[in-house]
Amino acid sequence: MTELERALVALGRELDIPAGPDLRSRVRERIERKPRRRRAVVLAVALLTALGIALAVPPARSAILRFFHIGSVTIERVETLPHAQERSLVAGLGPPLSLREAEKIAGVALVLNAPRPRRFYAQPGLIATLLHYRGTSVLLAELQGDQMGLTKKLAGPGTTVEPAPIGSFGLWLEGGKHVLMWSAASGEIRQMERRLAGNVLIWTEGNRTYRLEGGLNMGQMVELGRQITR
Amino acid sequence: MGRPLDESDLIGRARRGDTHAYEELVHAHQGIAFRTAYVIAGNAADAEDAAQDGFVKAWRALGRFREGAPFRPWLLQIVANEARNRRRSTGRRAHLALRAATEQPSGDAAPSPEASLLSAELRTALLAAVNDLPEDQRTVIALRFFVGLSEHEVAEALSLPEGTVKSRSARALERLRASYD
Repeated sequence: MTELERALVALGRELDIPAGPDLRSRVRERIERKPRRRRAVVLAVALLTALGIALAVPPARSAILRFFHIGSVTIERVETLPHAQERSLVAGLGPPLSLREAEKIAGVALVLNAPRPRRFYAQPGLIATLLHYRGTSVLLAELQGDQMGLTKKLAGPGTTVEPAPIGSFGLWLEGGKHVLMWSAASGEIRQMERRLAGNVLIWTEGNRTYRLEGGLNMGQMVELGRQITR
Repeated sequence: MGRPLDESDLIGRARRGDTHAYEELVHAHQGIAFRTAYVIAGNAADAEDAAQDGFVKAWRALGRFREGAPFRPWLLQIVANEARNRRRSTGRRAHLALRAATEQPSGDAAPSPEASLLSAELRTALLAAVNDLPEDQRTVIALRFFVGLSEHEVAEALSLPEGTVKSRSARALERLRASYD
């Protein structure tokens, strides 16, 4: 070890680093909560299975056939899709912002374990950015809390919905036409935005809902999702 | 009383769901986990949260832990990740400071032999130079010399190839040498 390296070790001993707290009881309390959570996940998966079976039967005549909530996202299966157009993945999310500006507007700190893009988008309660993965653009959106109705997803009959192995609970939506709707702020006015959506992975982890949208298959999307929250 | 369990025994039991065994692992590693998080996040509140969340995530990921591998670098990788996410979300650079001059290092009756190498003036100048390093180099130096991790452990904690850690460390030391000489 050189003299400079010895000096750095000595400096480390002089730093104002507080003694860490005893984390045992808090960690234990959290990990012992898991069985209850696991039961909740099992219940959610059972509900989803029931939903899948229900969706397999001939469609009823009601306008809204089924709906499902996951975190901040509501999925509704309808007979007739609302009118919507192909638009860019970030359409309606507002102007591109720096990370700091976006987090301030969203009130949500971005979780992203990957190189940071330069542009971010925000709505109150939602922060988003475009990632480039396996040669394609993927929209990552993160929503805080589990307030239902902040974002709505409407799936046409051709869209499959299935559980995805990610986070506390994940869903994969693929195929057919489906419409994404959400309420966006434009100045003082809030307006309903809508566009046709691509393949989507939605999952919850902690108090957060993650949503990835793009032209990847489920395996690739789950792979990306796990990297983001690793 | 039976013999103390070694780490691989504790990990094995924890993987089978034994929370008491995991508590012993937390006890053994919480000091270095907090210190690692602190030098990355730069404040005690975020470091505490990062360490706690890291232990909880590590528990949930124990099924993926490679049997026979060292536990500490694997754990510190998770903790460092949590700390980096917190630092990024605040947009602040971690800034380390010296303990007040009147305080002795905790647990030491007198300055260590290494500490006596450094005059107060030199300590201040060297720390300022460390704080001025680019973030990637500063983190490597802090983990290597302030936390006491090996280069291999730093590489694991930061998910970097060991060669990258070596080159960042070399570049940082070169810059610091100018402040020290």
